[in-house]
Amino acid sequence: MQLSDIERDAVAEIANIAIGRAADSLRKIVGHEILMSVPSVDVMTREKAAAALAKPGTRTFIAVSQSFQGPFSGRALLIFPEASSLALVRAILGREMSLEDVADIEDEALAETGNIILNSFVATMANVFKRALTMSLPSVMRGDSRQLFEAPAVADDLVLLLYINFEISQKEIRGYLALVMDLPSLETLRALVNDFLASLSAEDQEHGGTRS
Amino acid sequence: MAARVPDTHPIAGGVLDAVDVGIIVVDSSRRIVLWNEWMERVTGTAANAALGRTIADVFSGLKTDRLVQSVSEALDFGNSGFLSHTLHPALLPLCGSDGRPLLHNIRVKPLARADGPCCVVQIDDITGMIRREAVLRDRQNARYQAVVDSALDAIVTTDESGVIQWMNTAAERQFGVTPEDAVGQGIGLLLANPDAWPSGPAHDRAARHITQTSGRRKDGTLFHLEAAASRWTGNGCGFVTGILRDITERRLAAEALERVNAELAELNRNLERKVAERTRETEEALKKLFASQKMDAVGQLTGGLAHDFNNLLAAILSNLDLLRKRLPDDPKFRRLLDGAIHGAERGASLTGRLLAFARRQELKPKAVDVSELLDGMTELLQRSLGASVEIRTDVAPGLPAVHIDSNQVELALLNLAVNARDAMPFGGALVISAVADTFVDAVPAADLARGDYVRISVTDTGVGMDETILAKAREPFFTTKGPGKGTGLGLSMVQGLAIQSGGALRIRSKAGEGTTVDLWLPKSDAEAQPETTIARRAAPSRRHFSVLLVDDDALVRMGTVDMLEDLGHTVTEAGSAAEALTILQAGAQVDVVITDQAMPGMRGTELASQLRDKYPALPVVLATGYAELPNGEGPGLPRLSKPFRQEDIAAILDRMPPRDDATAKVIALRRNG
Repeated sequence: MQLSDIERDAVAEIANIAIGRAADSLRKIVGHEILMSVPSVDVMTREKAAAALAKPGTRTFIAVSQSFQGPFSGRALLIFPEASSLALVRAILGREMSLEDVADIEDEALAETGNIILNSFVATMANVFKRALTMSLPSVMRGDSRQLFEAPAVADDLVLLLYINFEISQKEIRGYLALVMDLPSLETLRALVNDFLASLSAEDQEHGGTRS
Repeated sequence: MAARVPDTHPIAGGVLDAVDVGIIVVDSSRRIVLWNEWMERVTGTAANAALGRTIADVFSGLKTDRLVQSVSEALDFGNSGFLSHTLHPALLPLCGSDGRPLLHNIRVKPLARADGPCCVVQIDDITGMIRREAVLRDRQNARYQAVVDSALDAIVTTDESGVIQWMNTAAERQFGVTPEDAVGQGIGLLLANPDAWPSGPAHDRAARHITQTSGRRKDGTLFHLEAAASRWTGNGCGFVTGILRDITERRLAAEALERVNAELAELNRNLERKVAERTRETEEALKKLFASQKMDAVGQLTGGLAHDFNNLLAAILSNLDLLRKRLPDDPKFRRLLDGAIHGAERGASLTGRLLAFARRQELKPKAVDVSELLDGMTELLQRSLGASVEIRTDVAPGLPAVHIDSNQVELALLNLAVNARDAMPFGGALVISAVADTFVDAVPAADLARGDYVRISVTDTGVGMDETILAKAREPFFTTKGPGKGTGLGLSMVQGLAIQSGGALRIRSKAGEGTTVDLWLPKSDAEAQPETTIARRAAPSRRHFSVLLVDDDALVRMGTVDMLEDLGHTVTEAGSAAEALTILQAGAQVDVVITDQAMPGMRGTELASQLRDKYPALPVVLATGYAELPNGEGPGLPRLSKPFRQEDIAAILDRMPPRDDATAKVIALRRNG
C-alpha cells in the first residue's frame, strides 16, 4: 500500500503540528529551545523500514514505544540510533553530566521525552480526525532495527515511517517516528486523512481563501 | 477499558491503602476523588483534606504544570503520561519517613468508567531504587575507580567528537581543571593541538594512537605530553579514552642526556685531537731530540777528531816552519815546502770549522756594535758575491752591543752570504737586516733562552728549500752543492757558533720562495769598544826566556821545543803536569810555563791553578784547541790556540812581563819552597 503525495503531505503536516506542540512542552520542561521537523513520510513494510533505518555504523537503536487504540490501533515508536541517544539526553537536559549519570537516567529521560512527543503526535491526530485514541504508558526498548518492528506484530503489519530531525544547542540529531499498524488500521487512517483533506477543501470553499 | 477487578470486590477498598505507591484518582471535572494512605503519609495531607480539590490546589506553587497537563491530556485525549524525576527534579513536594525529599516518578493513565472518564495518577517512590543503584554502581566501580584514581597518568575520555566526558584525579591534578570545568568542553581545553586526539569519524582514525604533543594547563602553560589514546564503543556510542603522561621530565632528561652526550662526544673529539697533537708533539720532540743527540754525537766525535788532528797539524806546521829556516834557499825546496805548509794550513782551517760546529772553537767574545760590524763587511761581501747579487742592509737604529767574537761572526755571515749566492744562480737580492729582539715568555727557537738579543737576518731571493732539505740543513756534512763544491759544514758551523755564543740559529725557507736565516746574538752587558788594532806580529823577540813546556804529546812537544829554541829560548820539557811540578820543585830556573790543556791526569788549567798558589809570579800560557774550559778555569791566562805557529809563540812571549820581575818572583818562590 502506498500513500499518495497529498496524503503523505497531510500526514507530514499533522506530524509537524504535533511535534511543534511537543517541542513547546519540552521547552517548558527543560527551559531551552528544541527544534524538530519532519521532512518526509513513507509507508513501507516492516522489513523495508528496518532496512531503511540500518545504516553503516548504526546497528543498534533505542526506541520509546507506546501502543494506541481507537479507530486505528498499533504502536507508535520514537527511534534513535543508540549512539545519538546520550547526546540527545544531554542536549535535552541542557546540562553537562558525567557519562555514568547520563547513562543512569537515559532510559527514563528518553521515556518521558518520547512520551511527550508520541502523546502529542497521537493527540494531534485524534484532534484533527476528531476521533478518540487512547495511549498506553511508554516503554523503552533497545535492539537492531528489525527487533524494533517485530513483536508484538502480525505478519502483514506496515510501518508509517516519519523522519524526524532534532536540533538542540546547534546539534542535529536524526531520529524516526514510526507507527506500526496492520493494514485495516492503516486503511482507516488513510480514510481519515482523506476526510480531513476533504474537510479542508470544503473549508476553503466556505471561506473562499487558501490555507496558508 | 473494562475493569478486571469489579469495584464491588469485597477487598478492593483495603488494597488501595495497602499498596506501597501513591494513588490519586481525578474525575472529569479535575477533582480528586481518591487519595490513598501512602499519599497521606508522604504529603502530610489527610484524604479528607484533599478530596474534592484539584491537584493544582492541593499542591499550590508547583514549578511545572506538566502533571496538570498530563491529567488534562488523559481526560481529554485518553493519553497516558510518564513524568520522570530525571526531567523534573522535584515534581511534587513529597517527604519520606526519614524526612528527606522523596524521589519519584509519576504515571498518569486515563480510566474509562461508567460514570465518565477519570484519570489515575500513580506515584512511585524510586528513592530506594536510585540509592541502591548508586551504591551498587559505586561498589562495582570501586576497584575501577581506585585503579584510575590512583593512576599517576591523566586518563580522559571524550566522545567521538572530542567532547570531554570524564577524567580521573590525575587529570585534574595534571591540568589543574575540575571535572565540572572540563566535562562538556572540547579536548582542546587540555591539548594545545586537538588534532593529536583521535576523535572524529571512526574510519578516519586508527583505533589506537600514540603521539607526543603539548598539554595545556588551566593557567595556560604548556607541557610535554605523551598521549596513548584508543577508541571504544559503549551503549552504541563511540568514545576515545586516552592516557596522558606528563613527559616534561623525561624530555628534559633526554635533552640533558643528549646535551651530555654531545659534550662527551665533543670532549672525546677534543681528547682525540689533543692526543693526536700530543703524539705529534712527542714525535716532533723525539725527532728533535734524536737530531740533537745525533748532532751532539757527531759534534763530540768531530770535536775529538779535530782536536787530535789539530795537535798533529801543530806538529807538522811547527816542523815545516823550522825546516823552512834550515833548508837552503832553493826555489824547488821552497815550492815543495810552501805546498806542504799550505796543505797543513788548510787542514788547520778545516779542523777550525769542525771545532766551530762542535762548539769547541776558541772564541774571544767582546762587546761588538752590529751596525759597525755589518758596515765593515759590506765591501767584502760585495766582492765575494759578485755583481749579480744586490746587497742591502737594513739595520735598526740604536741596537745594543752584542757579546760575540766578531771575527767568527764575520766568518759566519760570509758563510751565509755565500750560501745565499749559491742559491741564486741567476742573481737576486740579499738582505741583511738587524733588529733588537727581547724574549720574555716564548722563544722562537728551542735552544734560545729568554733575554735580550740582536737578530741578524740574512734573506735571499733564491731557490729556497723544501721541508726535507730544511730539516737536514743544519746537519754537518750535509750539502746540496755538488761533490767537491762544499764541505757541508757552513750552516752547522754557523749554528755551532750561534749556540756557543749564547744565541740561536733559525732557518725559514720554502721551495721557490727564498731562504731567511735568523741569527740571534746575545746582548752585551758592556758598551762596544772601538776595534783596537793590535800588532798581530810582534817584532822578533829580543828577550830570551827559560821556558818549561808541558805537553803529553811528544810529537807536539818536540815541534814546540824546536820553535822556542829557534826563537832563542831555553826549553825544559815535561810530559805531564806532575812532571812539570817536580821539575819546578827541584828548583829549575823557569821564566814562563807553557802548558797543554788536555792532558791525562792533571789538566793545564789545574796545573796553572797550583802554580798560581805556589809561584804567584810565574806566568803560565795555556795552549789549547778547546774553548770548552770549565767555567772559571784558567781565566786571564794567556792562550795559544792550537795549532799555533812560531809567530804566535813569539807574540805571546813578547807580552810577558820583564824578566827581572819574573826572576825576582821566582826567587821569592824559591824562598818559600
